[in-house]
Order: sequence, then structure tokens, then C-alpha cells
Amino acid sequence: MFLARVTGSVVATQKVKSMIGHKLLTVEPLRVDPAKRDSLVGTGRTFVCVDTVGAGEGEMVLIVQGSSARMASEVEKLPVDATIIGIVDTVNVENKTIFSANG
Amino acid sequence: MQLAIIVGHATATVKHPSMTGWKLLIAQPLTMDEKPDGEPQLVIDNLGAGLDARVLICNDGAGTRKLMDSKNSPVRWFVMGICDDR
Amino acid sequence: MRIAEVIGTVTLSRCHPMLAGYRWIIGVPYSLKALKTKTAPDGEDFVILDELGAGNGHQIGVSEGGEAVMPFYPERKPLDAYCACILDAIEVK
Repeated sequence: MFLARVTGSVVATQKVKSMIGHKLLTVEPLRVDPAKRDSLVGTGRTFVCVDTVGAGEGEMVLIVQGSSARMASEVEKLPVDATIIGIVDTVNVENKTIFSANG
Repeated sequence: MQLAIIVGHATATVKHPSMTGWKLLIAQPLTMDEKPDGEPQLVIDNLGAGLDARVLICNDGAGTRKLMDSKNSPVRWFVMGICDDR
Repeated sequence: MRIAEVIGTVTLSRCHPMLAGYRWIIGVPYSLKALKTKTAPDGEDFVILDELGAGNGHQIGVSEGGEAVMPFYPERKPLDAYCACILDAIEVK
């Protein structure tokens, strides 16, 4: 799984029928700053993910990829390879809180 | 399956129950011209591969579970053969 | 399984019901060079589901992809990384 920030949403009118009604969000994966390990830094990449937890733009989320992305009950039969499975509250590295949703 | 070279081993007391009794080797997967290919992997072994041995490691989860006689093991890689010396 | 060092934890305010109550840790994978020179791991960090109680500084074996879901068989869960073992000792030449 990886951490990412929701950057926006995607609307696709023409798509596989089974995908109708599912929210698609764009996210930027983040990683722990490798040098100082005191913050999360963007990787510059973008993924489109299916949302199962009601995430909004700007929120920090947890994403699962690959065939496991289809194991969440709502998306079992969908052709997806990245699913949002959680909204992050805190990230703690080496006993310091480097991210908190509340501040 | 992929060619790999044994670079070490590891021990673990706290682990998934299916791994009890299995030797854990550290294998570096190789490309066909024997350059390192990706990160080293922990593999289970019951053939007795030693340090520096060139081996074939197999990536088939279902095959690994059959080898371990387990329905729920998270192990994926195992040593399926030791290459003959050139 | 890759070998990773645990550097921290993640808590969730909301999560998919299939994953409620689990512990999430952050691991940094080791390259061969980091293992041989016994230096800090240098790969790209990722989040792992942990049921063994791995703490910061522990070296763990991480099962990825489809095998990460196997410990929960016959249940299926949307997981792609699972902490399969906590390593006591690593010997690399």
C-alpha cells in the first residue's frame, strides 16, 4: 500500500458499464523524505483510483494496487488496479508525528 | 522462475506459523547475463543451497503453498533447483 | 518476500470495513548494497499490514501482491503488503 494525496477527480462518460456510479479520483503518491525522514514529499506521479471510503480533494489516503485492488467488496467485479482503502489520520516516523490530518 | 544467487540467510522467531521449520535464504535475482535484477528476496529452501550457489527460484504462490502443505502461507519464492557448476 | 526496515506507523481515521482494526507500519526495502554494507535501507517506502507487532528499527520480511492476502484465507482483503516475519538476524556476505 502507499500513501497519497487526492488531487482531483476524473469524469468519464464513456466507460465500461460496470464502472458506472463509481467515483474516480486522481492522487499523487507521497513518500517519506529519504534524507531527513521528517516530512512526506510528493513523487510527481499521478494515479487514478477508485474510491471506497468517501475521500475528498486534499485528503491524505491509503491506496492498494494490483489484483488486490479488486478484493474490496464494492469493486470485486470491476476492471480496476488501484483502490483507496483508507483516509490517513497520522503518519509517525522514528517516533515523531510527521503528518496529522488535524493540523 | 528466475536465476538467482544465494547471498546470505536470515532467521526469524516471530513469523507466520506456516514458516515454522523452513530455512530462509536471501537470494539476489539475476538477469540472464548474471547482473542483479531488482531487490534481494527472502526465499524458503529445503534443498540445502549454500552461500554463493546459483539457484532457480520460483515465484508461484500456489506451488509454494503446495510445497509447504499450507492453505494460507504468505510465502511466495522458493528454491526449486540448484544449478550445476559450470 | 523483500526485506524492509520498519521506520514508522500510519493510523487511519476512516477505512474500508474489511480492514478495520489492523495495524499499519511503514517499511523501507533493502537493496543488495544496503544489506552487504550494513547501511540504512534505501528503497522507496511503502505501507504494510502488521499482525506481529514489529517496531521501529526491526527488519521484517514483507509478502507482497496476491500472497499478502493469503494469511486471511478463505477471506479476501484489499491488501498488497503483509509483514510475514520479524528477522532476528541477517547474514549477508
